[in-house]
Amino acid sequence: MTTPTYDAIVIGAGHNGLAAAATLARKGKSVCVIERNATAGGMARNTTLAGGIKAPEIAHLLYNLHPKVKKELGLGSPRAPLEVRELPAVSLSEDGYHAVIRSGRAELADGRPHPEAAAFDEMMRRLTLFAGLLGQLSTKSPPSLEGGLASLGTLTELAGLAKLGLDLKRMGKKDMREFLRVLLSNAYDLILDDLEDGPLAGALAADAVRGAFAGPRSPGTVFTLMYRLGQGGGAQLPMGGMGAVAAAFEAAARAAGAEIRTGASVARVLTENDRAAGVVLEDGTEISGKAVLSNTGPMAAMMLAGAEHYDVEAVRRMRNQRCKGTAAKVNLVLNAAPVFPGLSPELMAGRLLIAPSTSYVERAFNPTKYGEMPANPVIEAVIPSLTDPEVAGGGRHVLSAVVGSVPYGLEGGWDAAARERLAAATLATLEKYAPGISALVTERQVLSPACIEARTGAPGGHWHHAEIGVDQILTVRPANGMAHYRFGPEGYYLCGAGAHPGGDVTGLAGRNSALQLLKDGVL
Amino acid sequence: MGQHDRYDAIVAGAGHNGLTAACYLAKAGLKVLVVEKNDWIGGAAVSRSLHEGWTYSNCSYVCSLLRREIVRDLELPKYGLQVIPYEGGASFSRDGDYFAYMSDHDALRREISRHSAHDADAYDRFSQTVIRQCRFIRPFLLRNAPDPTSLKPRDIGELLFLIRQAHGLGKKELGETLRFWSMSIGDFLDEHFENDLIKAHIAGAGIIGTGLGVYSPGTAYVLLHHYMGDVDGAIGAWGFARGGMGAISNALGACFEEAGGTIVTGSGVDRFLVDNGKVTGVALDNGDEYHAPIVASNMDVKRTFLQHTGQQHLPGDFVKAVKRFKIRGSSGKLNIALDALPEFPAAPKGAPFLRGDLHCAESLNELERAYDDWKEGRWSQNPYFDMLIPSQIDPTMAPPGKHMMTVFVQYAPYDLEVGGVRAGTNWNGQTRGAFADCVFDKLEQACPDIRSKTVHAEIRTPWDIEQEVGLTEGNIFQGELTFDQLLFNRPVPGYAQYDTPIDGMYIVGSSAHPGGGVMAAPGANAAREILRNIGRSGNMTGYAA
Repeated sequence: MTTPTYDAIVIGAGHNGLAAAATLARKGKSVCVIERNATAGGMARNTTLAGGIKAPEIAHLLYNLHPKVKKELGLGSPRAPLEVRELPAVSLSEDGYHAVIRSGRAELADGRPHPEAAAFDEMMRRLTLFAGLLGQLSTKSPPSLEGGLASLGTLTELAGLAKLGLDLKRMGKKDMREFLRVLLSNAYDLILDDLEDGPLAGALAADAVRGAFAGPRSPGTVFTLMYRLGQGGGAQLPMGGMGAVAAAFEAAARAAGAEIRTGASVARVLTENDRAAGVVLEDGTEISGKAVLSNTGPMAAMMLAGAEHYDVEAVRRMRNQRCKGTAAKVNLVLNAAPVFPGLSPELMAGRLLIAPSTSYVERAFNPTKYGEMPANPVIEAVIPSLTDPEVAGGGRHVLSAVVGSVPYGLEGGWDAAARERLAAATLATLEKYAPGISALVTERQVLSPACIEARTGAPGGHWHHAEIGVDQILTVRPANGMAHYRFGPEGYYLCGAGAHPGGDVTGLAGRNSALQLLKDGVL
Repeated sequence: MGQHDRYDAIVAGAGHNGLTAACYLAKAGLKVLVVEKNDWIGGAAVSRSLHEGWTYSNCSYVCSLLRREIVRDLELPKYGLQVIPYEGGASFSRDGDYFAYMSDHDALRREISRHSAHDADAYDRFSQTVIRQCRFIRPFLLRNAPDPTSLKPRDIGELLFLIRQAHGLGKKELGETLRFWSMSIGDFLDEHFENDLIKAHIAGAGIIGTGLGVYSPGTAYVLLHHYMGDVDGAIGAWGFARGGMGAISNALGACFEEAGGTIVTGSGVDRFLVDNGKVTGVALDNGDEYHAPIVASNMDVKRTFLQHTGQQHLPGDFVKAVKRFKIRGSSGKLNIALDALPEFPAAPKGAPFLRGDLHCAESLNELERAYDDWKEGRWSQNPYFDMLIPSQIDPTMAPPGKHMMTVFVQYAPYDLEVGGVRAGTNWNGQTRGAFADCVFDKLEQACPDIRSKTVHAEIRTPWDIEQEVGLTEGNIFQGELTFDQLLFNRPVPGYAQYDTPIDGMYIVGSSAHPGGGVMAAPGANAAREILRNIGRSGNMTGYAA
């Protein structure tokens, strides 16, 4: 047997793949990352539009980049430069009575205090406290139940849970009870128990279901809201566009010694005696490695290794994974800055939300369930060129909109006409809050969930590779019995968002999987 | 006040849970009074004669969850309770076909195969999972929900019991259980089956009585809630109480009176009397006062504490928690007196499954759309219904040759939207008529001659159910069955063991663990807690001892 070329091969240079590569390389392992596209970064890339305008291709803001990942990988250090600006959230209202959330506090767009600021504060205090508690679970492999409740291994893992239990107790009876009550509850009721239905409530509802196949009335959306609030709930704009984030992850991986090959597509994972041994590229090239990590969706990862390496139950579970994406992306090039009545220049550069009420958010999701196009979608827009003039120039601006409640499985399929209808619905919705904006548009780029899947391989175009629902988290993510990143053949690992703890640009799935691999003694 | 007005315990409300608690307390030797606002007993387990010669089970209409331990302890058959199981059921499609459910395994397999060979295999896997989950949950129904914040030996003991049960599932099943409990019935069925009609037929049990859609997480649990009962030991079977659901309440009432208890009907509780944080009795609407150191409310938690208890006696946090308790009504009912048995052209003449539960839902999306209507304050334009003709099995329900049909309709809102305003009072003769028409239109899909055979129909909306029975917003479970309102969260975290902030006052209705469905478990569990708290546990009878 010849010596493998690499210690580890990573399939896919999404930010998690890069985080896994950097983590392994920093431990002195030789790593090769193989990326199908011409550039690394997955959903965190920039795209260049006519006239050299840089726009975030898919993701446009950082919400949850984990401080541990940032520190370990040195993101933001000279080695992997990354500069960000914290943005306030502005929840738009047709009557100009916009709500603003700045550092977790509510105010009105005209600077007056928000009448519900105190109630909002108290709710955010509780939710961020609970989110922080759950966040403890995100930096480790999830507890597994594989040995049954009595086995030693399980008990050690339960010790981690015991710490969580202790911290729960430490919160005091009142908060602990509230935590246990709301954990599996729905965002709609939680929000409206304390707030009037309006833009402030709508902003929370929108955050609770962002990227999810759910309306705020679905049980489990309080959990997704807490997931969103994992790092306090703020949003950061990367200077230089989202591509700067991809570049920082890439630089961190390279600086640690990892090799990155772009434009090379993996055809299958090589196995010897049910053990990962490397990969075969589409062009037939074989690359050998002691371990293989896959940044793809769970089902694709399974198919790369071959379904014969998995038991019938595992195959069935993969097939039944819920991963229907609901987020589309629309980039608009504008020949002048748009006008949002009631917003100061500073707020106009913020994270603009079109979610004027929780009922609006729920209604927006109704057609999604049946594969229909929403007439009034939930939108999260940002105009990066207002903060970062470098990306546009010449007085032009770029508006990046993540359009929610757009079905992956659109009735009739996603063709050019369907994308045109999506663009029209998006512009019509924006027009209500920024009259005249349509006339400023000189170019637009529309990516449906199906396009996002085609470009990045994310199953269903889903933000998290697999829905974050209570039935698909922790011990059952990506599936019961497969929660420890180990994925079928020995030495084969899942390192993408489909694994614990899930998506958003956190870097955790990649980092955790690499650490688990090292712990397992594969290398 | 004379001595005769003093009791050991008073139960407010003669629903089946109030009566069950009263029976256990009286059998333990307490002098017990039950007060009831209506002129009849039974709450929502009641038989009423609203059209001459016909008997309507005008609220709850079928029986399965009633705990057999309680039936045995209270010897209910001795007092006239007889539950007759029915077998089968069917869903009719618009194209003139149907899917029939039969309890005979081979017959069912043939019927499923007629629609999909794949689903015939899937059904065995599906029912194994459901039965396994039922076995897991049943032991908890007659136990206290442990308080996870408490370090009392009893709470820790109950937690350990839960862990032991979970451990007994084995490693693989434990993961599946966690998943099952948090899934939607729609996703769960999509995983197993491919045929829309079969999926729709099964899905109904996941939404009945809830404010959730078939694709809302948590509805797989609601399915379980409807599957975990039994009739004569047959798990998952449902039956008719002979003489209507009132037979259950009447048997409980007879048992109670034989044990020396007193029932006063015709005047409801105006307020609970509280002195120095301790309950002392009740004052009725008619001015009568009765006194006892123990008072148990069979009313739902909202009605008990927001309408009939002085707010000065309650901690602010508790009142807030009661206010946010979700108790949205989502179902209506039609009780129909029929001149003759309607024709079901799709079904073979005299098919036995026509004696079971009949539906016309064709797909999960159709059910989900029905839910979308309800969210907006409308009744479902294409409603789901659970229709039965009990008089085919129980001839006491209608005059000879005539029949009685009960149609449970999902969804109907409590606060109906008319012209932009949502209010219960929007339910009037006109809106009720339009609601009934909508249901009749869909019934015609299964039995086209239904209108011509109808001699009388009682239309019940959530608003009517609240007005008559007293269930807030007409919610049939006295509070929604979502996780934030189950186990130690039901009805209020910290007060999930039938106790309340007022000393001596208890909650015995299905607002408490384990919830509604004519189980009688909350009533029995509450009686056990009461007797334990007053040091009379030695007097307990049956399962409670």
